[in-house]
Amino acid sequence: MKLRGAAIVGLMAPALALMAVLYVVPLGVYFVNSFHEFRDGRILPAWTLQTYVKYFTDPFSYRVIGTSLRLSLMVTALAVLIGYPVAYALHTRVHRPAARAAIALLLFSPLLVSVVVRTYGWLILLASGGLVNTTLRGLGLIQEPISLLFNMRGVVISLTHILLPFAIFPIYSVMGRLDLSLKEAARDLGAGWRETFLHVTLPLTMPGIVAGALICFTLALSAFVTPQLLGGGRVQVLPLAVYNSTVEINWPGGAVAGLTLLVISIAAVWALNGLLRRLPTV
Amino acid sequence: MSELAPTGDRAIEAREARAERLRDATLRAVLGLGVAFILLPLVIVIVYSFSSVAYGVFPPPGLSLRWYSHLFGLAPFRGAFARSVVIATAATGVALVAGFLCALALVRSRFPGKEALRGFLLSPIVIPKIVLGVGWFIFFARLGLQGGVVPITLAHIIVVLPFVVNILAANLVGLDESIEEAAQDLGASPLRVLWHVVLPQIRSGLVVSGLLSFIVSFDQVESSIFLTRGENNTLPIEMFLYMEKWQDPTIAALSALLILFAAAVLMAALLVSRGTDLRRMLGR
Repeated sequence: MKLRGAAIVGLMAPALALMAVLYVVPLGVYFVNSFHEFRDGRILPAWTLQTYVKYFTDPFSYRVIGTSLRLSLMVTALAVLIGYPVAYALHTRVHRPAARAAIALLLFSPLLVSVVVRTYGWLILLASGGLVNTTLRGLGLIQEPISLLFNMRGVVISLTHILLPFAIFPIYSVMGRLDLSLKEAARDLGAGWRETFLHVTLPLTMPGIVAGALICFTLALSAFVTPQLLGGGRVQVLPLAVYNSTVEINWPGGAVAGLTLLVISIAAVWALNGLLRRLPTV
Repeated sequence: MSELAPTGDRAIEAREARAERLRDATLRAVLGLGVAFILLPLVIVIVYSFSSVAYGVFPPPGLSLRWYSHLFGLAPFRGAFARSVVIATAATGVALVAGFLCALALVRSRFPGKEALRGFLLSPIVIPKIVLGVGWFIFFARLGLQGGVVPITLAHIIVVLPFVVNILAANLVGLDESIEEAAQDLGASPLRVLWHVVLPQIRSGLVVSGLLSFIVSFDQVESSIFLTRGENNTLPIEMFLYMEKWQDPTIAALSALLILFAAAVLMAALLVSRGTDLRRMLGR
């Protein structure tokens, strides 16, 4: 069926109406708050840029932004560094489609379970008497339990686990589209495994790496549950700042922090998308 | 070449074979470790749900079912579970209907600004959920629409709609329009064509996007935490708030049941879609 004017509008109307009322308006109301000021426990009705001035002259804001960026960069790097070899191993070592599907399903299965559940799992694993510390002590690698909870380490480990499937999936799917004849040609021309990997496989799978990094970075930047439950108050990131301001009824302060988070997210998406377009496509 | 330098060549071959065996073993180990790392937190949660003590030591000193009986005595979790199922079902239903119509219009039409419109429809995915959450909190507070499941459901519709539009649009692109034309030529009304010709062809897309919507809605914390006020907590928020106060294995027992629930939902979806779409997606 080809569609014309009125039919197109009619079909799109429900979705666009929902988006207008429940998305554009709430975001607008939210951002309008950034032009008000919170003082003496209430929001003043006057229009002002004072909240922006206060936010961007406060050194604490920059510490929070810095923590957010550091956390997101570490988690993204780890997820890609772990995810790439796993995707590569699945792609090159498992050949039966059913076995591939089963292993891929296992790798993505944590996504079916709430992030609260997964964070709870790490809370048990990383406790001072937990599996990780017990194993490290059993191997003689450490004498005293190391503190992995309620600091940056625990948040990084747990968030890497939570975001790992998002790194594996794009890399794995790009590998599936890889032209195997290029690899064979490189081998025939005398290139060893290392040369083939460095000069053929890796450059051709770069789009998958960038796409995975893009998803991981933006999701890590807006992560809330894990830093809140495993950070023990020591991992102050932007989403927590937004949450805390809102709880304190300081909507203007929360709006400015939220806008900062949004701008950083969009900048990251824009930069990595630009990089993605410049890469050779498979 | 082999005639000229047989011994040297054989030595190289042997070295290459050794290197290949080593690579093979390493990559298999990497895959095994990767799967283990991914599954570890879920497995440990199930193990701890049977622990006999409240504190987290490995291995647990004994086994018991006390955390399950403790969990079943807590009414808030039961209510929260029911509420989450209702919200996820309603949000998925609305998003599937609105998303299908919208995807159809997007795929079957050409007009200036279409790509921008598509970008707008997908944009909720990249907006940090906590920003949306505060936005909805202020919005619904201004409207005086607070408490109950309605505001949360309305919010979740926006969270899941982009996934539905994206997946269904991808499914609709490949359809052969001549079948629809044939049906129309035989006198079928547009509505009958949609119902009997278009929808059956994108059945697996509907299952996959419906499943994804349900899971995404069921997992919302940041977007909904300001819309709940105790009496209408959703399950992940009830768990989140419980975990902020206590960390005993009651949450492990509940988590183990949720893992079982997720496995059951996935199995059902695999059966309905006969696994073809998922297998194509994952196994290639």
